[in-house]
Amino acid sequence: MNDNSKRTGSLISIQDSLVKARFFGEVIMGETAEVFVDGKILQAEVLQIDTDPKNKEAGIVEMQVFEDLTGAQIGDSVEFKGQPLSVLLGPGLLTSIWDGLQNPLYKLSEQGAYLAPGMKAPALDEEQLWEFTPLAKEGDEVSGGDAIGVVPEGRMEHKILVPFSLGKCRVESIVDKKELNITQEVAVVLDAHNNRHTLKLAFRHAVKSPIPFKERAIPSQPISTGVRVIDLLAPVGYGGTVGNPGPFGAGKTVLQHSLCKYALADIIIMAACGERAGEAVEVFKDFAELEDPATGESLMNRMCIFGNTSSMPVAAREASVFIALTVGEYYRYQGYSVILLADSTSRWAQALRERSGRQGDIPGPEAFPMDIPDQIKGMYQRAGADHATGGSLTFIGTVSPAGGNFQEPVTQATMDATGGFWGLSQDRADAKKYPAIDPLVYTNSVYDSFISWKDRNKMLHSLLEANDIDQTISTIGLKKVPVEKYVSYQKGQTIDFCVMQQDAFHEMDACTRPERLKVINDAVQQLISSPIEFSQQGMEDDELKELIKTKFDELRQWWRDWNSNAQGDELINELPAKVEQFIKQEEA
Amino acid sequence: MIRKEINKISEVGKALISVEGNPGVALNHVVELLEANTNQSLSFAKAINITEDSTRFQVFNGTQGLSTQTKIRMHELPLSAGFSYNMLGRSFDGVGNVADNGPEIIFEKEVSTRLDTLNPTVRLVPKQPLWTGIPMIDVFNTLVKSQKIPIFASPTEPYNRLLSQIAQGAQADVIIFAGIGLKFDEYQYFKEQLSNSGNIDKTIMFTHLAGDSQIKGLMLPDVALGVAREFADQGKDVLVLLTDMTNWSNILRNVANYQDQIPSLQGYPGSLYSELAKRYEVAADIEGAGSITIIGATTLESLEDPVPDNTGYITEGQFFLEGGKLKLARSLSRLKQQVNGKTREDHRPIMTAMASLLADAEKAYEAAEVGAANDAFSQKLLRYREDFIYNLEEPFGDSIELEDALDKCWNILKKHFEPTETGLSKKLIEDYWNKK
Repeated sequence: MNDNSKRTGSLISIQDSLVKARFFGEVIMGETAEVFVDGKILQAEVLQIDTDPKNKEAGIVEMQVFEDLTGAQIGDSVEFKGQPLSVLLGPGLLTSIWDGLQNPLYKLSEQGAYLAPGMKAPALDEEQLWEFTPLAKEGDEVSGGDAIGVVPEGRMEHKILVPFSLGKCRVESIVDKKELNITQEVAVVLDAHNNRHTLKLAFRHAVKSPIPFKERAIPSQPISTGVRVIDLLAPVGYGGTVGNPGPFGAGKTVLQHSLCKYALADIIIMAACGERAGEAVEVFKDFAELEDPATGESLMNRMCIFGNTSSMPVAAREASVFIALTVGEYYRYQGYSVILLADSTSRWAQALRERSGRQGDIPGPEAFPMDIPDQIKGMYQRAGADHATGGSLTFIGTVSPAGGNFQEPVTQATMDATGGFWGLSQDRADAKKYPAIDPLVYTNSVYDSFISWKDRNKMLHSLLEANDIDQTISTIGLKKVPVEKYVSYQKGQTIDFCVMQQDAFHEMDACTRPERLKVINDAVQQLISSPIEFSQQGMEDDELKELIKTKFDELRQWWRDWNSNAQGDELINELPAKVEQFIKQEEA
Repeated sequence: MIRKEINKISEVGKALISVEGNPGVALNHVVELLEANTNQSLSFAKAINITEDSTRFQVFNGTQGLSTQTKIRMHELPLSAGFSYNMLGRSFDGVGNVADNGPEIIFEKEVSTRLDTLNPTVRLVPKQPLWTGIPMIDVFNTLVKSQKIPIFASPTEPYNRLLSQIAQGAQADVIIFAGIGLKFDEYQYFKEQLSNSGNIDKTIMFTHLAGDSQIKGLMLPDVALGVAREFADQGKDVLVLLTDMTNWSNILRNVANYQDQIPSLQGYPGSLYSELAKRYEVAADIEGAGSITIIGATTLESLEDPVPDNTGYITEGQFFLEGGKLKLARSLSRLKQQVNGKTREDHRPIMTAMASLLADAEKAYEAAEVGAANDAFSQKLLRYREDFIYNLEEPFGDSIELEDALDKCWNILKKHFEPTETGLSKKLIEDYWNKK
């Protein structure tokens, strides 16, 4: 592009991250722009275009700037880039750690310890060589999304795709098997209008245009997350969506970290959106030393992280979630199972709130933009399973409700938008029960579980009954509760204590796989359905209840030890035996 | 150097002024306000909103006494803070001016108050405990170097006393005290406590008293944290005390209101979360340099208030002070898992077991209020609860070493329960129940 074709403007208003500029000619809604401030180039995005009341020849464009504007002045120049906000897709995405605009953070750290406005670096390593093997040949017809070759990325095969923006093309030339970096030419294709396009290993894709499905399918396979209460009662399928709200301190972060470590998927993408930097750091520094349970390699090999943490520019928060989603869709298209953990979608919604407030929009509930429910739905809709590729993108979003109140707009919209719901309860968190997902109030799922629906409901029923009896005990006292009810109460308590609760920091107890879940479920079902007759020769009810409590306390202690026994799998069958013995021994 | 001066102030409001047109000032840069006739300096002000037609400033010293005749002198620099080792032992206001009777300070350098985000890749994962001698913190919610954590308390609680007690014990090369909206007595209390413990020579106090100019209070954390960061960059372990961040948030709310911003909850601007986060996130353990630990105070009427609520999502836990006691149920140190697995083997399990029993005991306590806790176990729980509150939730008193505190925990359990009732593993019971 020569200088004459440059479209420019100049600033006429500056406030926080929002600027207005006067321009002559054309500006396109949603395109990106660069603002030149004090020798630095800052990234911006067009939000609104108006005519200029002062000058009929000119227009006024409103933009959000993704970086701190300190030092900006009236008259500073703007250059419009013609392209919407986009993400670079290609080999090398995995193991990367970026800011919210896909600047690689390790590369940026070479320029200084602090992230100053205007700092930039190429999104993917431009020097690294990849061994390219062509799949297409000269003369082939290809179109957007077709693979023209592959490169190995770690232990995965990374397909080199024709950019989705291209229609039907003919391959004019393609390189033979060789080592290439992402800036080198791989192929040249000719489109229907005889325009030539040079293809490379990586290409840019607009983040607000979803990458299509080949054949969208219903998420049917449950994901083994390793968390018992989830996998038993509120499972998520490959390609599903889950909202995970909880007041602060209820354990959202611990749960997210647990999913990073143990959820079975090819790829985990973390969008640390407006949250503590320390939590993302723990993931990429400490988790790098942990082993992926499926491959035995470093956990980081299956991850990439977008860290737009809470002190980074708010305007880039919105972008970070869309960028992460697009990367997820890209790998889904290649046939991989991807889990996107977005922490937290509330911060994303707050970024929209801040922006709409500055733009002077009429606010909806709690000053959020009126259309926030639609925006949230639109975001979760990008998850899904693809029957044709076998790939899936699962979206698990945490929600940080103001005041822990689930009635607030973002939580409500999320419940409406997702197929699964893991609500963390303050009461359980206060009692230091982990995970604090309340199995009675706050679990919901449209996805299949690892156990039958009937068993799942029996388990829930037992917990519910125990909860009811617990309330009765609190109001009228233990004395008036019949012995038989007290036994049901102890059964429910045992399921809660030994199955629903888990030690996230214990190497054995932190993760339970389906084969073990089945054994646990069998034991639980047996415990629930078998009547247990405790001996009562001459025993007062009070004494009997104490005896029952002691027996159950012993069972629970044994069960917890079994959960965390280092020899785990060798002792897997001890549980059904113990429960059977427990039930029989007590028979009169 | 002759600086450009203009005098066309068009609007003087609360804390803010506007001038017509665009005097050529840049966003967040500072100008000086001068008395029209005498050229005497009245205040500095920061440009916060610039358009072709008008420019708005926050006035550091407040707008009392300003008029449309007041002159504006351009400085063309963003607000910065002076830095020098000679600041140790001294007192400053919210924008870094000397506020005690000591000699003028010649600063070695100016440091930025923009608080750019630390690149996450140069953060170290925090792993070093900061022992306080308070069992409720050391055993149940261990504090970790580089943590950011507030004390949540109603305004009538002794939160500043607790803050001061933690500060006395914590190991730090430099203590930065940042007080916003303080009563004079509170300021004096901190000063005396720091003097008595011999820490005053490694302390810098930035103080904004209730009634001082709001803008100075608003700026204070940035100035204090800018200085703290410079010490950390030079390899020092810095402890920052921020009290009270609710006062600060209220100033933020007032100023947003003067600027006609659309409020979100209870009048606070929608940016409250980001604004608080920007300050608290300065806490860090920096690779190849020092560290910054932030302990704050957040006063509240209700935990659901926007300030404590947003703070809770930002900080790495909170210490909840109620009735003069540090309450286990609502307190949390998010970083404790980084350190409490490397102390004594019983540390984590006993912490979990006691917390779980306390939760049961709270239920029994509620049941007892309606006469429904007559069974033997409920009675045990009630006695345990009493013991726990008076012996473990009490933060004030003699400093206790971790091992002694753990032993104390075992003694309380033994006094009230049978081993199986604790939920502790067989092995731990064997090793510790009958020890000594």
